[in-house]
Amino acid sequence: MLSRDFVSGLSAVLIAAIYLVFAYQLRTSALDDSVGPGGLPRTYGWMLLALGLMISASAIFKQTRSGAVLDLRLEWKGQGRRIVWAAGLLAIGVCYIAGVSTLGYPLAIALLLVAVALYQGAKPGLHIAAIGIGGAAFLWAVFVLVLGVSMPMGLFAGL
Amino acid sequence: MEILYQTAIHLGDPYIFLAAAAGVAWGILGGALPGISPSITMALLLPFTYTMDPTGAIVLLASTYVGAEYGGSIPAILIRTPGTNAAAATVIDGYEMNKQGKAGLALGISLYSGVLGSLFGLMMLMLLSKPLASVALAFTPPAYFALGILGLSVIATLSGESLLKGFVAALLGLMIATIGTDPVTGGNRFTFGSSDLLTGIAPVLIMVGMFAMSELLVQASDRSEGAKVLSRPRMEFPGRKLAKRLMLPQAIGASIGTFEGVMPGAGGTIASFMSYNEARRWSRHKDEFGKGSPEGIAAPETANNAVAETALVPLLSFGIPGSNSTAILLGGFLIHGLVPGPMLFVRSADVVYGLYAGLFIAALSLLVIGMMMLPMCIWLVNRPRPYLSAFIFALILSGIFSIHASLFDLAIMLVAGTVGFFMRMLRIPFLPAVLGLVLGYLVESSFRRSLVLSGDDLSIFFTDKVSLALLAVAFLFVAGSVGKRILDALRHRPSEKYSEGSE
Repeated sequence: MLSRDFVSGLSAVLIAAIYLVFAYQLRTSALDDSVGPGGLPRTYGWMLLALGLMISASAIFKQTRSGAVLDLRLEWKGQGRRIVWAAGLLAIGVCYIAGVSTLGYPLAIALLLVAVALYQGAKPGLHIAAIGIGGAAFLWAVFVLVLGVSMPMGLFAGL
Repeated sequence: MEILYQTAIHLGDPYIFLAAAAGVAWGILGGALPGISPSITMALLLPFTYTMDPTGAIVLLASTYVGAEYGGSIPAILIRTPGTNAAAATVIDGYEMNKQGKAGLALGISLYSGVLGSLFGLMMLMLLSKPLASVALAFTPPAYFALGILGLSVIATLSGESLLKGFVAALLGLMIATIGTDPVTGGNRFTFGSSDLLTGIAPVLIMVGMFAMSELLVQASDRSEGAKVLSRPRMEFPGRKLAKRLMLPQAIGASIGTFEGVMPGAGGTIASFMSYNEARRWSRHKDEFGKGSPEGIAAPETANNAVAETALVPLLSFGIPGSNSTAILLGGFLIHGLVPGPMLFVRSADVVYGLYAGLFIAALSLLVIGMMMLPMCIWLVNRPRPYLSAFIFALILSGIFSIHASLFDLAIMLVAGTVGFFMRMLRIPFLPAVLGLVLGYLVESSFRRSLVLSGDDLSIFFTDKVSLALLAVAFLFVAGSVGKRILDALRHRPSEKYSEGSE
């Protein structure tokens, strides 16, 4: 039963429910127009809820009509592995956001380059460090020197 | 004549020249990398354009689109892997020519046809945009609301196998658009006390997150290296006799590309396959198709480059992006406070003429840059995937930070990337979400203003002639798509597979 379509529908229902909770908390004012700040958000929320239920119902109906038992292993084959690997890459990004202000842009981006390359399967070695340093230098030159963007300096603030 | 004169004035601007050349070069590189679509290539550039002059920024992004449509043919011909969706038709005969030792000629035909397609498409863009925009100048709030609904109705053709999922994606985009300040009363909505959310969520963060970041997340688990280019072909252009033979398929490609480009929701992929089919139908050498026919390359490549120009027609005239790439271009306009649509030709006409000039330079420089960059493209395609992924991730994070110097923006982008990752897993298309996001403000503000004008009378949307006409077209789009799906179901024909939408 837990086909991708069913999970899509369920996700839509969940998102709609959370959104509606906050949409109904929006304050109304005597100066509002007839629709108000909450009018369309509530409409969107209810539409999404209805669509989510329709997609879930359609998924169940499709499965029931076909008669075949959905092989969940085939339906979700490889997806768990994809989620885990994606979560790892995301974690590297989160660590970058958490650390860039402290470490400074040059060091943080160099570490990001090395971390992602190793994570994606590059063989460890001195060349990875060279790529990290070279890549960081290139990005520094482009963003700070050429485009004039004010990147966090962190440990390099005193230099 | 006035259009030509105004465009010619901008041809001498070195800034536009540089932006066009840089865009074409970047587009060719991005298009040559399988898995990096034109829209991702453009999305990566979006944060860079913040510090640029508006005209240069738009030219840079539009030229990237032009370059990417050609770039996709390089791996298609050399390693049987289309760099872009639109280059899939080029694989059929391009790779066969490669196997026959004619890779250089195949690449030359692709480049030459691409340049012709771009020039033809640009001519149609210049002819069609302003007249259509003049019509839109008569728009009232109900008409703007109907225009937004028409834009959203494009979802019907972009939803792949599930129309319901397309609507879900559109609603997600509309809901994200409600975050920030209410367009009529100015009150806060869904900000949760955060000052960072007061101005809402910038579409560029969602676009880069959904297109580029989600691609990285999806590829995170892919440990395969992909095919490598082993040969080093030299580009060769067709001689007079072959060039004459290619005229018909190029004309077919240009015509179909123009039509499909103007139609929101169609795009380069459909145009290139339709052109291939029609070129084969009208060819005197039908038997050669599929076995290395030069016409089989000329038609789709002319088509997809014509689309790259004419897809700008609905964007410039009405402010409606009809594809992923034009949605990114819309992001570029919004970054600089420019609103594509009828008022663009009134308030920022110099940007439009600068864009035309830039696209002309891009089309011509495609010839030179395309030849020069072939060795670099081959080098890039052969780079180990871990280093490419690392560099792209670093580029995305650096670029997004450069917009507002805000770590909060990076967090939003990562969240959008995560949402995009799960949308791909659940086969929910992106483009409707992007359409909902960029059109949400227009739809809501126009709707509420219309009701204020009419005293809450909904019939205003039907008594206004322009609004009625646009709503009717929107209805036809949706009804046509639903009808096609029902017919396909009755004939047991599979509907279009899930895709992220047209490029």
